[in-house]
Amino acid sequence: MKKDVNSNRYIFLYASILIIIVAVLLTVTALWLQPFQDRNKKNEKRISILTAAGIPNVDAKNAPLLFEKHCTGSFLLDESGNISDDGTLPLFVIDRQISVIPMQGNGLWGPIWGYLAIAADGKTILGANFDHKSETPGLGGEITTEKFKGQFSGKQILENGKLVPVQFDAITGATKTSNGVKEMIDNTLEKYSAYLSKIAKRGE
Amino acid sequence: MANLKKLIIEPLRKTNPVTVLVLGICSCLAVTAQLKPALVMGLSVTVVTALSNFIISLLRKGIPNRIRIIVQLVVVATLVILIDQFLKAFAYDVSKQLSVYVGLIITNCIIMGRLEAFALSHGPGESFLDGLGNGLGYSLILVIVAFFRELFGSGTLLGYQVIPQSFYEAGYQNNGLMILPPMALIVVGVIIWIQRTRNPEMQENNQN
Repeated sequence: MKKDVNSNRYIFLYASILIIIVAVLLTVTALWLQPFQDRNKKNEKRISILTAAGIPNVDAKNAPLLFEKHCTGSFLLDESGNISDDGTLPLFVIDRQISVIPMQGNGLWGPIWGYLAIAADGKTILGANFDHKSETPGLGGEITTEKFKGQFSGKQILENGKLVPVQFDAITGATKTSNGVKEMIDNTLEKYSAYLSKIAKRGE
Repeated sequence: MANLKKLIIEPLRKTNPVTVLVLGICSCLAVTAQLKPALVMGLSVTVVTALSNFIISLLRKGIPNRIRIIVQLVVVATLVILIDQFLKAFAYDVSKQLSVYVGLIITNCIIMGRLEAFALSHGPGESFLDGLGNGLGYSLILVIVAFFRELFGSGTLLGYQVIPQSFYEAGYQNNGLMILPPMALIVVGVIIWIQRTRNPEMQENNQN
C-alpha cells in the first residue's frame, strides 16, 4: 500500500516526529555543551578583569591560573562602601591594591559593559576594558580597541574628595555608543564613590 | 564528473547567489565592515547551506508538500542553532564577534532558495555540492566587499594595520563612509557592473 503523502494524518505524524527528533537533538547538544560555554564566559570575565588591571598577555588558556595568582579577593560592597554579604556592588581586588569594578550600561543597539581598574590611591584610573553585545563593527564596536581603552589610564576621578567626571575622546560616528560609555562610567563611579573616597583617605 | 565540478564552480561566477541572483544582500551589508566576521559568516553559511541541502534532499520524497516550507525552516533553524552552540563552546571569540548575525543565517534567502530550487529535485550528493558551491559563491562576494570596506574604512585587514602611519601623517584619512552599510551596496554594485561588462551574455536584452 502506498502512503498518501498529502493526507492530514501523514502530515501530522510527520510534523510530530520531526519536532520530537529536533527537540531531543537540541536538548542533548545544549546540555553537552553547557559546561564548555560556562567556562568560556567565566574565562572572558577573568580576562577582562586582569586586562583592565594592566596584567599583560592574558589569554583564554592562562586566564584561570593568572586569575588565581593575582586576584586576592572578591567582595560585595554596600552603598556606604563597606564589605558586606548583602552588598550589591561587586569588587575585585588585584595584587592586594588595585580595585577592579564592573560597569554596565547601554550602547546604541544593546548592552555594553566593562571593568574599571583603580589604583591603590583611589583616585587614578589604571586601565579600563569595554565590551558590547551588538554595537556596529567599525563604529561603536571600536570601544573594544586598544586605542579607545588606552586613553583611560592615568585619568583622575577624585579631586579634593569629590568625584570629577571622566573626560575622554568619543568615537566619531558613534555618538550614542560614546554617550553610553560616558553614562556608564559616571553612574558606576557614583555608586562606588563612598568606597573610593574611603580608600583615597586611607592612601593619604 | 564534469557535471559535479560545475555544481561548485558555477555559483562562484555565472550563477553567483549575490551578484546574479541578488540573494543574501542584507547579511552582505551587515557583516562586511571587517574581514574577519565576513570570513566566519561565509564559512557558517556555506556549512549550513551544504548540510541543509543534503538533509532536505534525503527527506525530499517523504516531505508532505503542504508543509514543506515549515520542514525546511525547522531543518535550517536546527542547524543554525547547533552551529551557534558549537561556536559558543569552542570558538567563543568568533561567536561574540558575529553575535546576532549567526541567528540571522536562518533568514538568509540563499539557503531557502537552494532548498526550494535544487534540493527538492536532486539527489543528496549533488545537493550537498550545490549548497557548498552557493555558500562559497556567497562567501567570495562577502570577502571581496569586506576587503575593500576594511581597507579603506579602517586602514586595516583582519585587524592588522595595512596603510602605513606615514600616509596618515601626510594627510591621508580613513573613509568613514566605507564603514556605513550603504557602501556595501555600492561595492556589490561595482562588482556586478564589472562582472556583466566582462560577460556580455549576462546582460539583459532590453530591446524586445
